[in-house]
Amino acid sequence: MSLPMTGPVADVSKSGYQGYELWAAQVNADGGLLGRKVKLDMLDDGFDPNQTAADYTRLISQDHVNLLLGTFSSLLNAPASAIAARQGMLYVEPSGGAATLFTRGFTDLFFAQPGTTTSLPDQFVAWIASLPASQRPATAAYVTQDDPSASPAVAVFRTRLQALGVKTVYYQVYDPSTTNFDSIATAIAHDRPQMIIQGAVADDGAQFVRSLQKIDYNPKILFQTNAPTDEAYPSAIGGAASANGVFTAQSWSSTATYPGNQGFVQAYTKMFGAPPTEDAANSYTAGQVLQAAVKAVGSLDQQALANWLHNHTVSTIVGPLKWDKAGDPEGSLLLSQWQHGTLQIVAPASAATSTTILLTKPAWGNG
Amino acid sequence: MTELIQALIFGVLTGSVYALMATGLTLTFGVMKIVNLAQGAFLILAAYLCYTLWAHLGIDPLLGSLIVTVPLGVLGAGVYRLIVERVQRTDHGLTIVVTFAIALVAEAIIALVWGPDPVTATPAYFNKAFHLGSVSVPAAQLYACLLAVAITVLLQAALRRTWLGHAITAAAENPDGARLVGVEPKKIGTWIFAIATATTAFGGAALSFLYQFTPDSQDVWIGLTLSVVIVGGLGSVTGAFAAGVLLGLAESVTSTYVSVRWAAAVPTILILLVLLIRPQGLFTLAARQDAAA
Repeated sequence: MSLPMTGPVADVSKSGYQGYELWAAQVNADGGLLGRKVKLDMLDDGFDPNQTAADYTRLISQDHVNLLLGTFSSLLNAPASAIAARQGMLYVEPSGGAATLFTRGFTDLFFAQPGTTTSLPDQFVAWIASLPASQRPATAAYVTQDDPSASPAVAVFRTRLQALGVKTVYYQVYDPSTTNFDSIATAIAHDRPQMIIQGAVADDGAQFVRSLQKIDYNPKILFQTNAPTDEAYPSAIGGAASANGVFTAQSWSSTATYPGNQGFVQAYTKMFGAPPTEDAANSYTAGQVLQAAVKAVGSLDQQALANWLHNHTVSTIVGPLKWDKAGDPEGSLLLSQWQHGTLQIVAPASAATSTTILLTKPAWGNG
Repeated sequence: MTELIQALIFGVLTGSVYALMATGLTLTFGVMKIVNLAQGAFLILAAYLCYTLWAHLGIDPLLGSLIVTVPLGVLGAGVYRLIVERVQRTDHGLTIVVTFAIALVAEAIIALVWGPDPVTATPAYFNKAFHLGSVSVPAAQLYACLLAVAITVLLQAALRRTWLGHAITAAAENPDGARLVGVEPKKIGTWIFAIATATTAFGGAALSFLYQFTPDSQDVWIGLTLSVVIVGGLGSVTGAFAAGVLLGLAESVTSTYVSVRWAAAVPTILILLVLLIRPQGLFTLAARQDAAA
């Protein structure tokens, strides 16, 4: 695989790679795949889509790898999966949930998460819809990074929330290179929305919150994609008290009771000295999917592996995964909220780790 | 109207921080005609040092910057005497290449020491703001702005009222004449590099609590500080301050009334306009430059 081990999302990729490492170590301890030890061939793409394409071309044409695992973000998985499709290779990706990735007619692409961009807002919007009219936010601001996963998700949020009567007072798409959110925060504060939805990819989530904090603007509800699932998120915005009440969507939780999940958490913590992140879990899940297919098919025939995955449900640490013809999983993500230093699952009820949902986010630092 | 006032306040506060970060580059680029591309890496190094003092010893980044000036000043002097000055003797144009190499090495060392994860200091005032009616003035940015003003005034006073300042000015305007009156360019160059690098401590301190940063954040800041220096005019500390504020205002107003995306293009547009209309920079002493020529 190729990963952005340097560059703006290097911190995320490190734990993602560790997820792959743990999976390979466990497979090898169990005798390997088809009797052969799994060896990870990892290249660094520096979060550059062109380099990602070059890396996957090299992995297939020069390194002659037997199996491919995906990289991070839709931005990088788009070119990588195209290279894999051209070369007839199975491609299981740990992230890259942009809807556009599944409309290209590829039949050997599989997304190793329970849901994609389109289903990301499901649980949050359902929760807003369940609130009495008097408690529903009347106005919302939407900001999103120009990212193939984040911006379509925010567009879905906007459409669905507007349908519920939530008025849009601000909408802004920012460049991935944006590091200063002061102007956006000021403009939002001027419009005083009760709810803010941000399509955050990585550090931009914390940077945006810091800009809101600098002008002391507290929205009643804050939802951010991706960023709040980072273990460093609370410290980046001033501590757990500041994170209290922030919503996000998760593909995985350390407390979920899916088969193998607790074993994964314990093994990862033992191996790396820190609990796993969502990115580590997603990598591990991609490995599980690949492993299930190879074991069931009994060969490295890429077409046979893809056919098997299209016709079976795979048990993973993020729950049972089943895909449509395009490799789009047929599930939805978990709705989570930071509550007193812990990222709790608050919906769906079947997976909830907390029965309480903080309706109003406390003021920054007072959570 | 409130929106405009808020945008202007943010522009001034943000721009003054840009100026603070560009101060060192103004000296090396303006006086010695050396485009020190390592200045961005030194800025990030200063930010990490201030962050470390805050995280481990609880020292406020603004106070910590006073401590950080010492090792950075020594680093700047060492870099000049051991590397830049030797390269300069061979080919002045190669200094841009060697400082770029220093920046790459510095970034790698910073990554080895502190790791690739983004960090930021959160002193008690980072999420406080003063409210004037419906207008907000972020405390952290206000303090950084006051620091920028103080550093600009002190540096300008030092350049105008001390022997070293006169020597630096003389060496910049007429190196041969300066040598005749006992000003040794090599010694002055060492001082300029030491001061320029030491001043990054203040910009780094502001950076450490205003923004998140990683070892490769230097890429963003070196471009921005170069813009400030070019717009302000080479060698003009007050010009750099004014240019920084102008840049901040232009970005803020563009973000508010046009688009956040266009704000990213503001530095480039300003540089193009300045080079077309007033190539010596908006605030530089054009007569002095002409006289020297």
